[in-house]
Amino acid sequence: MAFNVLVVDDSAVMRTMVVRTLKMSGIPLATVHEAANGEDGLRLLGEEWIDLVLLDVNMPVMNGEEMLQRMRASPATRDIRVIVVSTEGSETRLAALRQIGASIVHKPFAPTTLRNTILRVTGVSDAEYYGAVPVADAGGDF
Amino acid sequence: MPSTMEQCLSQTLAATFEELALTCADFNLSDTQRAAPVDVAMAVSFSGPLNGWLVLKATSHILPAIAENMLGSDIVDDPSVERDALGELANVICGNLLPLIGGAQAVFVLSAPQAFDNADQTSRYSPSARTCVGIESGRAVAQLLLSDDSRRALGLPVAEPIAALA
Repeated sequence: MAFNVLVVDDSAVMRTMVVRTLKMSGIPLATVHEAANGEDGLRLLGEEWIDLVLLDVNMPVMNGEEMLQRMRASPATRDIRVIVVSTEGSETRLAALRQIGASIVHKPFAPTTLRNTILRVTGVSDAEYYGAVPVADAGGDF
Repeated sequence: MPSTMEQCLSQTLAATFEELALTCADFNLSDTQRAAPVDVAMAVSFSGPLNGWLVLKATSHILPAIAENMLGSDIVDDPSVERDALGELANVICGNLLPLIGGAQAVFVLSAPQAFDNADQTSRYSPSARTCVGIESGRAVAQLLLSDDSRRALGLPVAEPIAALA
């Protein structure tokens, strides 16, 4: 199975870094979509089949927490797997995000951290079967 | 855990440059680094239990290398992308710094990074911590500015801010 992924982050730089990490992670990818805020993210979820969302928290227009709450409230999107990729350090907010089913990857992140979280969240356990490539050494933190 | 706000800022600045931009941050600046101008700046404002700005200035000629490390060589060579990369560094520094000074339970809202080219943007805020690291043949300077209320909440004097950013 190849995954359709949606990356939601208001920073084009961070979206580029996340997509780059995705591509070097060995995760089987179909299409990677990008959105700059929660509102655009929800619109894309209505238009495209998405298996996994990588979601920032602090964004203009609609932040990641609100987008995730709206996803969980809709039958069409409530089961989509979500990984929050953020600098968010508030335990209060992180607990709220975990409560509604998000996994957390803290920025800055090592490529292996993101890859391992994706493997865990998606249930892909045999990355080698899918042709995984070695991820850059831990020195290559993002 | 660092004990002072300046130590928190120093630790966060160095870690972010090393982990996000894959570059060594040196607190013992060479003469060349010390003489390099900090001629480009990005800033992130924050609100919540504390209110203020995180300003990150850097020597412009180190930005291409930083952006290339962050994005790959096939993407950069664009000054606006290089500034965005500096802005993302400011964003990550700010996001990681605030729990250290405001507490792990505090919830903050951060603005998108913006160009910092006018001190009037932050005139209501007092410089409250500053640190500088050598990066490649230039340097980066981070400064935390806080509102008077935030300084009072942290037990800092309001009338005697530290020296302005170099």
